[in-house]
Amino acid sequence: MTPLLEIRDVSKSFDGLRALSHVSFAVPHGKIVSVIGPNGAGKTTLFNVIAGAIQPSSGEVLFDGMSLKGLGPSRTARLGIGRTFQIVRPFPGLTTLDNVAVAALHNERTRSAARIFAREVLELTHLAPFAQIEARNLTLARRKRLEVARAIALRPRVILLDEVMAGLNPAEVDQTIELVRTLRSLGIAAVAGIEHVMQAVQKISDFIVVLNFGEKVVEGAPAEVMRHPEVVKAYLGSRYAGAGA
Amino acid sequence: MTRLEILVAAAAVAFVVALPLLGSDYLVGFVFTTFLFVGMAYGWNLISGYTAYVSFGQISFFGIGAYTVAILVTKLSFGWPLAVLAGAVAAAALAVPLGWAMLRLRGPYFALGMLGFVQVLQMVASAWTRLTNGGEGIYLPPAGSLRALYFGSAILVVVGIAATSSIDRSAFGLRLRSIGEDEIAAEAMGVDTTRAKLLAFVIASAFPAVAGGLYAFRLSYVDPASAFPGSYEVQVILMAIFGGAGTVFGPLVGGVLLSTLGEALWARFAELHLFLFGLIIVVVLRYMPEGLIPRLRRLAASAAASGRKAAAR
Repeated sequence: MTPLLEIRDVSKSFDGLRALSHVSFAVPHGKIVSVIGPNGAGKTTLFNVIAGAIQPSSGEVLFDGMSLKGLGPSRTARLGIGRTFQIVRPFPGLTTLDNVAVAALHNERTRSAARIFAREVLELTHLAPFAQIEARNLTLARRKRLEVARAIALRPRVILLDEVMAGLNPAEVDQTIELVRTLRSLGIAAVAGIEHVMQAVQKISDFIVVLNFGEKVVEGAPAEVMRHPEVVKAYLGSRYAGAGA
Repeated sequence: MTRLEILVAAAAVAFVVALPLLGSDYLVGFVFTTFLFVGMAYGWNLISGYTAYVSFGQISFFGIGAYTVAILVTKLSFGWPLAVLAGAVAAAALAVPLGWAMLRLRGPYFALGMLGFVQVLQMVASAWTRLTNGGEGIYLPPAGSLRALYFGSAILVVVGIAATSSIDRSAFGLRLRSIGEDEIAAEAMGVDTTRAKLLAFVIASAFPAVAGGLYAFRLSYVDPASAFPGSYEVQVILMAIFGGAGTVFGPLVGGVLLSTLGEALWARFAELHLFLFGLIIVVVLRYMPEGLIPRLRRLAASAAASGRKAAAR
């Protein structure tokens, strides 16, 4: 069976600076793949390539076996790739409900139908009490949640989650873990870019890809990846590399 | 509609219909001009108010409307209503390739690109003498009465209100708004931003074209300077922003208020009226940058909220 999403030998340079170098991995249908790595490892660049916001210098991304080469972000979104932004980008002057309704318009013909579906998504993501509030007035945690809600409202087959845990307190992280598990129950696959929040990675991931300096260091099931000497070195420093295993 | 809204609408219709029967030529002429500005402000609002693609060049379409009318009437002896409609069609046809090219530019680059396009058209109008008679201009035969043109301008305003209010409530309107709020996020939500912007741009182009056509008849003369009046562009933008960009009634309220204010200042302080006009606008924009209608809405909402609080206590 072809994987839902396949990143095939993707490289990206900015003015000669290598942000991604020959990265390959696959995302199976309905599974959650975490892409972890320190700041600057290339996670956001990778997401921008998958979403069509930037084109890779070489290599390609396949979605359900089809090449996404040359397709811009609104095309990939309509094909079924939802995304969130690391630095949240709500529509500040629109209500929380209408923020979600914009994405729902992809499947609904009228604004009122889009709002009805948007309300369901707000219930699912526990944002319903804030439906009529302008998004500029939401707290950061709720704005991050709104990013996910909008992506869900697109009814995508995969969602790219760029640092949805960063900057949240432990209780909010737990809520977000719950939210990501909701995606799985909806049959939506996810690629989660995560820098720091390691306990979350353990809890949500079916599969982990580790990036560093734009290269894939290792990939595999959570338990084995977390024990890998390169990962221990990257996160705890080289002194611990031998001790962990 | 609430009872109050029906009452206001009925009063407005009565005023618009009664004015040419009862009012003086001066008054009818003033309201005619005001309606042209309000109509143009509705056009500007559709592209620049909703999508935040602020254009400094919508007057291009005013000139296209004026010249289309002048040429069709003098060379092909069109009647005025048909010539004015043809002007709108010509503007919309030009807006398709123009928007396709211009709407790739963002922020100030789009605004300046459109401003530059006005200059290009003005040059063409001066140089293409066989069609436009260059700097000498084209004289139009008198086109019926001022009162007939007046009704043309009233229809322009009614179409502006109707089109804006139906777009405002539609899926298309929500898409335009999302572009105005954050175009990159809108794309990530699957909005076909290119298509939505272009459609708004094309619809918006018809309004100044009709205004330009009616204006050409009122003046009975079209030349490169009168067809592309840059000061009108500025006034139209101010009216839309003053009333509230991206609202249904902002262009009407802003247009009527500023036009009346300008006329009153001109009548009372002939020497100083532009100075005072500018001063008032600076003060208003300083304290109310979002415009009159959004500000009133906000005040009403906070009054209602404090009322609820008082009731709860």
